[in-house]
Amino acid sequence: MIDLARILVAPLLWLATFSAVYGLQGLGCAAGWDATADGPSPLRLLLVAAWGLTILMQVALLGALRSDRFGADRPLVRRVSVLGGWVGLVAAFWSLLPVATTTPCAA
Amino acid sequence: MNTLARHRRLTRIWASDPGWRGWFTTVNHTDLGRMFLVTAFFFFAVGGVLAMLIRAQLATANSAFVGAETYSQLFTMHGTIMMFLFAIPAFEGLAVYLLPKLLGTRDLAFPRLTAYGYWCYAFGGTMMLVSLLFGIAPKGGWFMYPPLSGAIYSPGINTDFWLIGITFVEISAIAAAVEFSVSILRYRAPGMSLDRMPIFAWYALVTSLMILTGFPPLILGSILLELERAFGMPFFQVALGGDALLWQHLFWLFGHPEVYIIFLPAAGIVSTVLPVMARTTLLGYGWVVAAAVALAFLSFGLWVHHMFTTGIPHMGLAFFSAASTLVAVPTAVQIFAWIGTLWKGSPQLRLPMLHILGFFATFVMGGLTGVMVAVVPFDWQAHDTAFITAHLHYVLFGGFVFPVLAGIYYWLPHFSGRRRFFKLGEAAFALIFLGFHGTFLAMHWVGLLGQRRRIETYDPETGWSAINLVSTISGFVMAIGLALVLIDVVLHTMISARTARNPWKAGTLEWAMLLPAPAYNFASLPRVTDRDPLAFDPALPLRLARGEGHLGTPAQDRRETLTVDTSSGRPDYMVIFPPNTALPVLMAAVTGLFFLSLLLKTYWITPLALAGVAALACRWVWGLGARADAGPQDAGHGLALPLAGETDRAPGWWGSVFLLTANATLFGSLLFGYAFLWTVAPGWPPPAWLPAAPAELAVGAGGAVAGAAGLRLAVRGNRRGRPVPGLLLAAAGALALLGALVSFLGRIPDPAGHAYDATLTMMGSYALFHAALLALMTGFLLLRVRGGYTSPARRAEFPIVRLWADYAALVAAATLGLAHLPGLIA
Repeated sequence: MIDLARILVAPLLWLATFSAVYGLQGLGCAAGWDATADGPSPLRLLLVAAWGLTILMQVALLGALRSDRFGADRPLVRRVSVLGGWVGLVAAFWSLLPVATTTPCAA
Repeated sequence: MNTLARHRRLTRIWASDPGWRGWFTTVNHTDLGRMFLVTAFFFFAVGGVLAMLIRAQLATANSAFVGAETYSQLFTMHGTIMMFLFAIPAFEGLAVYLLPKLLGTRDLAFPRLTAYGYWCYAFGGTMMLVSLLFGIAPKGGWFMYPPLSGAIYSPGINTDFWLIGITFVEISAIAAAVEFSVSILRYRAPGMSLDRMPIFAWYALVTSLMILTGFPPLILGSILLELERAFGMPFFQVALGGDALLWQHLFWLFGHPEVYIIFLPAAGIVSTVLPVMARTTLLGYGWVVAAAVALAFLSFGLWVHHMFTTGIPHMGLAFFSAASTLVAVPTAVQIFAWIGTLWKGSPQLRLPMLHILGFFATFVMGGLTGVMVAVVPFDWQAHDTAFITAHLHYVLFGGFVFPVLAGIYYWLPHFSGRRRFFKLGEAAFALIFLGFHGTFLAMHWVGLLGQRRRIETYDPETGWSAINLVSTISGFVMAIGLALVLIDVVLHTMISARTARNPWKAGTLEWAMLLPAPAYNFASLPRVTDRDPLAFDPALPLRLARGEGHLGTPAQDRRETLTVDTSSGRPDYMVIFPPNTALPVLMAAVTGLFFLSLLLKTYWITPLALAGVAALACRWVWGLGARADAGPQDAGHGLALPLAGETDRAPGWWGSVFLLTANATLFGSLLFGYAFLWTVAPGWPPPAWLPAAPAELAVGAGGAVAGAAGLRLAVRGNRRGRPVPGLLLAAAGALALLGALVSFLGRIPDPAGHAYDATLTMMGSYALFHAALLALMTGFLLLRVRGGYTSPARRAEFPIVRLWADYAALVAAATLGLAHLPGLIA
């Protein structure tokens, strides 16, 4: 089961963080954290911080999956889990990129 | 024992009951796989006839062929049947039939559960068909959006048929997903490590995990909408604190992964069949596995792309647009792996290969239009037009039906034991391919010209008449092609000559047995040392038939098989399967009675049916286990293994883990719904928060702790032969939980008054159900202890109940905590 967990963990982390950031955006809009007189709003700062944290977590996980200590012994499982790590990292960067480029609450 | 004597003895042990009784009592995966497939294709034919009626209606402008009311029922039932009664069950049927054979074992993990799943599917599907025959079929579209599907705009029983019938059918999908997950991870031939697993098993595993996490949001949504319709609990009514968008979130949390739940098994077929047709091995096995896993997870991050026109903020749209474009990458990885496999090998243009080429062309086109609609501005233009209908047919027909037809023709000699003789299949393929593209290319076009989905007619001035006529004629051409496939298969199974073993010269284990497959699959279980065992050792089938593998000499007349360690494939214990029984069909019938009582609103029957299900479940489990320790069992080749009941991680424990995964997803969806309504829905905060009741909270917390701790004590106590004190503590904890939750539910003023009260009622009822389940399980285990079914060695049942105790404690604590929080703060 540990090998299966290695294969699933990075995309699972992406899914959890993607949903959490989407939830945070909804919560922030409902709570009015987007209101600002000048400069980036508290919600924008929060979302960008969450995005950065997500990417950092994925980088750390990818490193762990490639390491001898946490990585898999079986070559196939190692290859698939590292590929999964890259999927998680690229997905975290690309799918949450809108936190820096679009308006948070305008419909 | 010689080969013939072994065959006769194993057949006597594993065969279904003779005659008509065998249909109802079989628990054999080969029989049930065939039954699933035949039933699924029957529903495919019904759905196809409905499609032809839809096309007949749209063939000409101002058509009065069926009228608006019937037309609405036709397109709703067409989508519903194809999604829920054909595509998923066809995957289930193929996997039920194939998985044990591909994995080198004798049956799936829970044979009676396979049968129960089949009967739930058959009864639930019949319920839906009855509605169609009586003209009271659902008519709100296959995604049943409220408020249209609510009691105000859809009075009558039509919508209830959908909500209740589909939930009944989904039991089958959940059961199959649990079954496949455990079977793939544990029930493999000795030596079959994860990296030697056949590629179809990887796809089936990923699909099963997706079903376990994708279906619960829809089940929850269906329960909530039915509660709203039947009892006025306003989850989706804006005026009372609900929100219709909650349904869309719950539906598409299921609905988008559903597309990949349908596509991935088909991709598994392609990855299995295509290398055989190309006389080589799959290129990039590891990349394909990684792509399937990536696709599964990414598909759960796309659901809002079905809701681009609902007024969601730009940032939300951009999240899901980005994720939707990303999903093309792992899909393309698979496509390139398949192309590379063709390049590497020497492709032969046999009939399965024709269908795979049809799949390539069609699915790639469907994928490209998918990228188009992932882009928000384009989607705003094309949303709810025939363009979307055409796109989804390219993806689903191209991505599922062509590969399934390839698979059917590939494994037909396996199903029937006969070789292909008639050449109708090639003509059928040509008609299907041309008919399909004629139908749906035209539909793209007319969609871009502005024809909306689900309209029953149009004016001739629109200029859509000629295109629709082309589409309809092509649709009938495709239907003739599909009818030819049916005729071809029937003729083949009735009058073709017997085939030799392994006619395609494939490398996977399903071809290492007699054809048609015997009830026991393998006379002895292989020891696997390669990903393509037959290619590695062509003499393997004969050696297995001679009993040279594991379990080749049945010591007693028991249905024996082995399980292995998940990762390494090292054998770890022996499993004895149950005999043929009518329990599954009986339990499915009583489950059906439960759903029927809800449908017909005869609520006095509901608790009786529930009690019946509980009684049958107890009977089901009571028959397992033994009253004496058996010790290690001889598995051949000097291997001695304990029985599953004498381990800590029996199949029931694994099954519970996966079932609880689905269960937790449902509870998580409920919590998401609560948070969504609280933060997004108008009409919040509610008129009054539920006042906190510290005593109730304390009793609930104490019960949760006692329930979980009691089972831990029981597990430890059983090692010393004294499990009863721990079980009594757990029972006391369950009773305390029941008391606290009944008190909590009693304090909710009016579940129909506001969505807040309705949600609290739902959460409390869910926790109450699990507390009652814990009480039942603990009481049952006490009886088992008293009946002599447990000992320090026969310990498997304690960890299983411990899992459920932990879950019940967690759910009750979360429910009571969340419900009391606003009151405590206030």
